[in-house]
Amino acid sequence: MARTSSGASLAKPLISLTAAIVAAAGIAGWPTGAALAQTPKPVDIALIMPLSGPWARQGQLVKLGAEMAIAEINEKGGIKSMGGAKLNLISIDAGDSAEKAKNAAQRLVAEHPDVVGGIGAWLSTFTLAITEVTERAQIPWLTLSYADSLTSRGFKYIFQSSPTANVQAVESLPTLIDLAKSATGKAPKTIGLIGDNTASPVSFLKPLREPGGLDKYGMKAVVDETYTPPLADATTLMQRVRSARPDMLLYITTTISDLKLGLDKMNEFHIGKGAVPVIGSGGANGAPEVLKNVSPDLLEGYIFIVANWGLKGQEQILDAFKKRTGEPWMTQESLDGYGHVWILKDALEKVGKADKVKVAEAIHTMEFDSGPTAMVFPGKVKFDAAGHRVGAPLVIVQWQNGVPVTIYPIDRATAKAKWPKS
Amino acid sequence: MEALEWHIIDFFQALAAGLLVGGTYGLMCVGLGIIFGVMRVVNFAQGDFMMLGMYVTYYLVTGFGVLAFLGPYAGPVVGAALAGPIVFCVGWLVHRYLMSRVTGARVVTAEAEGHYTQIIMTLGIALILSNGGLILFGSVPLSVRTPLSSESWEIGEVFLNQARGVAFILAVVAAFGLYLFLTRSTLGKSLRAAADNPVAAAYVGVNVDRCHRFAFALGVGVTAIAGGLIASSQSFQPYIGFDFVIVMYAGVVLGGMGSILGAFWGGLTIGLVQQMSTLILPYQLQNTAIFVVFLLIVFFKPQGMFGRVWERT
Repeated sequence: MARTSSGASLAKPLISLTAAIVAAAGIAGWPTGAALAQTPKPVDIALIMPLSGPWARQGQLVKLGAEMAIAEINEKGGIKSMGGAKLNLISIDAGDSAEKAKNAAQRLVAEHPDVVGGIGAWLSTFTLAITEVTERAQIPWLTLSYADSLTSRGFKYIFQSSPTANVQAVESLPTLIDLAKSATGKAPKTIGLIGDNTASPVSFLKPLREPGGLDKYGMKAVVDETYTPPLADATTLMQRVRSARPDMLLYITTTISDLKLGLDKMNEFHIGKGAVPVIGSGGANGAPEVLKNVSPDLLEGYIFIVANWGLKGQEQILDAFKKRTGEPWMTQESLDGYGHVWILKDALEKVGKADKVKVAEAIHTMEFDSGPTAMVFPGKVKFDAAGHRVGAPLVIVQWQNGVPVTIYPIDRATAKAKWPKS
Repeated sequence: MEALEWHIIDFFQALAAGLLVGGTYGLMCVGLGIIFGVMRVVNFAQGDFMMLGMYVTYYLVTGFGVLAFLGPYAGPVVGAALAGPIVFCVGWLVHRYLMSRVTGARVVTAEAEGHYTQIIMTLGIALILSNGGLILFGSVPLSVRTPLSSESWEIGEVFLNQARGVAFILAVVAAFGLYLFLTRSTLGKSLRAAADNPVAAAYVGVNVDRCHRFAFALGVGVTAIAGGLIASSQSFQPYIGFDFVIVMYAGVVLGGMGSILGAFWGGLTIGLVQQMSTLILPYQLQNTAIFVVFLLIVFFKPQGMFGRVWERT
């Protein structure tokens, strides 16, 4: 009885105290019950990238771009058609193998059923594995990976913003031949083809290795090697180049370690610094940390082909990124991470609800011709039924005075091309 | 130059590369040889201690610039040599607080001489070191920049990379020094006694646990020197250890369990096979060739090239 009496005597002051706290919270601007009911639920988007293992840095660069886009979108009021819903990035580590990448995708599907779209996973081999899972889960998946096999499987929920690797090789070669011709007065006749055996370099070199692939450019492959990365040493590989002495070398690597080994060895063999002009492919070739591994004089004149790089017209984005992250320049990885989030945001604006299937349909049908989305990619931003970005142009970058600068497309280039001369 | 002449140059160039790469492999195998071959402790974290050696060298030479006054030629070599004692201390502490629970006198009567627990323990240490490395050093690939890595000594038409050449000489000196230490010094003999028969060694006054601790620290320290030497030629990141740990085990088994010089030859053989196989096989089969040779040696000479007959793989 005493307990009941004591409880009753305490009830009144407790109710008053609670009411006072609730009133104070309302005055202080904290969301109360009514306000909470009006706050739209954040919209989850996923990012699966290698955040550990040998490709962790590339994953980190994509993440930096994506985070900047999310911060900008949320600062500007979120998704307006969804009552100002904020975007929330769910970041998952793809690790260092295709198996781990696939597991990451399965974890995403199991633990985050409300995800409306995703980005990943830099390395084509990883993206191939991930999209086997995300396709079944009907999650629209944006990727900068190059392999043509990504969008040749009949998938409906994959969107490849880069020109495919096989297109890159075929489209870049005439430009490079013209560049060589205008600098040296003669067209290159022989070429060396060296690439690692990951999906993107294999796709890149495939059309050139096929019968007649190089004939139409009047060229002949005098070196043709595929290796398993990472290299322990590039001596025997570059010895082939030294003995065959091609007019130009396509050296398609996915790791900075192999780039360093190759360029160091070429210098050692007296075929570096433009004696045999070298062309690479992929954003890793222009990452700021390349300078921590390779001497700038060995990089001078080195050309590489990418899907995106700092272009004329992107100054605002590039400056904001540098200021926010402290990185010296914005690479393809960060640009595309940034652009992919904006694509998802624009699609969500159109759909007006967190419905992944509708978001995918919107990406398929929309033309993203305004705002940061249009500005961040070279060429127009529209996807076909297979998920290719229609007419996605390639970008050619060259190391000049210790900085990788865009030399093609000419109308958006930030510097003039210089063909390395021996 | 004639095609035949180029073929001859290709051969000698691959031979030179095989020897130079193999020399450093040899040194890292010697490090594991002390731990696995002599003391018979399974250590899957050996590659990660090598990674530590790379970062120690980098921070001594470039990051903190402690050795910058030595210049770009001597600095990286001295840095690699100093990585040895620093990682030795780390190894000593790791053994004192972790590995001592699964090695030495404590596991004499344990199932499989405590190998199962050693595998689990060292895999755990490997994970901590590589992921801890990611947190501490970041994911950016680094290397110790030196002109040595892109310059060579030329013998006719054959080029010898200077960074690899210096690494080779240091590796040979270190491996031979360790061989003398283990076979001639009292401490070296104690280590072998503690490994061969811990109970008898304890009866004659050998401190078995201390021997194990010293051998473990010495082994990881030697491999760290090899890592420091490689750091000039190759980029590295916290996960690089895994790429080398299989090479190390193959080298130790190939050379023969219990033999320090055998471990060095095992590493050297792996380097030679890796580089010279590219003369006749596609480049992609470079590492496959290593394991074909490994299996052939295990099949025809189970004790390895220099192993004792009773110590079969």
